[in-house]
Amino acid sequence: MLDILTNMLAMCIPFSVALLLASIGEMFNQRAGVFNLGCEGVMAMGAFIGMLIPFAAGGGGAVSQWYNFFGFVAAAALGAVFGIIFAVITVTFRAPQGIAGIGLQMFGVGTAGTLFRHFVGGTQSIPGIPDIDIPLLSKIPFFGDVLFSHNAMAYLAYLFIPVAMYILFKTPWGLKVRAAGTNPRAADSMGINVTRTRYEALMLGGALAGLAGAYLSIAQAKMFSDTLISGRGFIAVALVYFGHWHPLQIMGGALLFTFAQTFQTIIQSMGISFPYELAVMLPYVLVIVVLSFTSKDQTMAPSSLGKPFNREIRT
Amino acid sequence: MKRLLVIAIMLIAAFSLCASGSSESAADDGTFKIALIIENTIDDKGWCQSMHDGITEAIAAMPDKKIEYSYSEKMLPVDAGSIARQYVADGYDLIIAHGAQYKNFVLEMAEEYPDVSFAFGTSSEIGPANVFTYMPESEETGYINGLIAGTVTKDNIIGLVGPVDSGDAARYNRGYVLGIQAVNPDAKILVAHTGSFSDYVKSSEVATSQLSSGADVLTGSSQQAIGALRATAESPKAMWVGQDLAQLTTEEGKAKCIAASSYNYAAVVIDLVNRIESGVKGGECIPMNFANGGFIFEYNPALEAEWVSPELKELVASTIDSFKADPDGTLATWADVDYSTL
Repeated sequence: MLDILTNMLAMCIPFSVALLLASIGEMFNQRAGVFNLGCEGVMAMGAFIGMLIPFAAGGGGAVSQWYNFFGFVAAAALGAVFGIIFAVITVTFRAPQGIAGIGLQMFGVGTAGTLFRHFVGGTQSIPGIPDIDIPLLSKIPFFGDVLFSHNAMAYLAYLFIPVAMYILFKTPWGLKVRAAGTNPRAADSMGINVTRTRYEALMLGGALAGLAGAYLSIAQAKMFSDTLISGRGFIAVALVYFGHWHPLQIMGGALLFTFAQTFQTIIQSMGISFPYELAVMLPYVLVIVVLSFTSKDQTMAPSSLGKPFNREIRT
Repeated sequence: MKRLLVIAIMLIAAFSLCASGSSESAADDGTFKIALIIENTIDDKGWCQSMHDGITEAIAAMPDKKIEYSYSEKMLPVDAGSIARQYVADGYDLIIAHGAQYKNFVLEMAEEYPDVSFAFGTSSEIGPANVFTYMPESEETGYINGLIAGTVTKDNIIGLVGPVDSGDAARYNRGYVLGIQAVNPDAKILVAHTGSFSDYVKSSEVATSQLSSGADVLTGSSQQAIGALRATAESPKAMWVGQDLAQLTTEEGKAKCIAASSYNYAAVVIDLVNRIESGVKGGECIPMNFANGGFIFEYNPALEAEWVSPELKELVASTIDSFKADPDGTLATWADVDYSTL
């Protein structure tokens, strides 16, 4: 029984990274007052460009880890560009954020698939990045497998949580972001450039979504197909609400969702008489149930979330 | 504005005339036109690629016939109707909608266009007079792979990553279980479904979960299986048995896939073309099995010597022969397999 629990928890860390990165990025977007439903599309583009670089270098064979690193960098950069595009549409032109997000999602997924077919062809895999057993720590019973035997990006993603908290709650820029999402008019009157702050937050959010996609193609599945993301971008958006716009709670949500995913897999594999359709639904039902019970507790929600800001118009 | 509108209408009219003219001329010169509608891509190393490859092989195998072939990828069932109508307008003789999810639109179209033949599968239903169905009896290929998995496992734990529990995937998976139990009744079989045909990440997660639970031989079906194969390749000791020959061509397949079977849609397509040309437009279900050449089975030449003993090879060969001799009876109980008893 302990073995099963160890395996489930050991899988939670690496399998949750893509959701974690994407939802932390989305949190920065929403903290600044913009929700980006196009996260899925940005992830798809990140997954594509992230995989393309090591694939182009090695043709699917072994390559230097630098190419994987460049893949992550390119994915983050492309994600940031998509963040700027979204900012132009929703912040500068003040288009409805929901519709623009859906458009970005379709554009990203479609473009990634089209470019993939053009540059790569059919479904292809890459060696990706290996797991790293941290010396000594990985030998500790139970904790070694659960915490200290993962790939480098998984460690970095989790180390980014305190960094995200510091940025959001302890830096002047974090204060600007929160002000832009909570009361942009007051922020503007205090000399904060709301438009610029929202652009910056969307760039950061886009970069993290791009990284999340690249994580799937370089570190987890180690391949690309245009169905690779399969709704994870939308789950990431839901996790932001689930986690009340706080990095720690979002991390908890990502871990809980992933735990439910691995748990349902174990239930199926153990041959327990339980309809697999219900097992597959379990993580999604869990998100809906938790959201339903916590929907009244929205005190942490940025009060100007989804509202375009126009300093010339008094609302 | 009015002038622009007039120009646009004239252009559309001219384009329409050209389009209808080309289809008419094609229909008149005896060309047999086949259209394929698929939900994924023709190079997905799985379900859709196998049909595309089958059609191109069938065309190559009928050099005396003038056959024109077109395909439409990424067609969701809701979008498939419009492209199918385009194919009808272009004079296509046979429209294959490759997936049971297309059933409703095919039946609607068949009623609307009784002179055009449609085909969809997998399904064992007998459709209207202008609808063919095809059903791979893939419990046979699953059984063969199960024989191999049950024999080569060292830890007696075997994994199965399924997409959904229906259609040919359900048949393949249950045949796999029967094959394992035939040679290794003590083996523990881990069965899990992803709930999707194309979620590669989830299939890799399920495979990783089964590998963590000790599985040392895995299989999977549909295009999502590539994700599970990729995860298996990360394990130094685990091996794979495949449900598509395309898996043998991947880097991880070359290293991990002991053997693979595949649907030979070429035989189905040749059969369909011949039937339509003889005046039968539908109303039949074409089964696919080893007996009628509907399946192909191959070992991985790089792994055969190390992993396939002469006894196992003999067992596989004799089993395939028994399927060919009695396609209806050998695995008639495949549907009785209950995963909760494993």
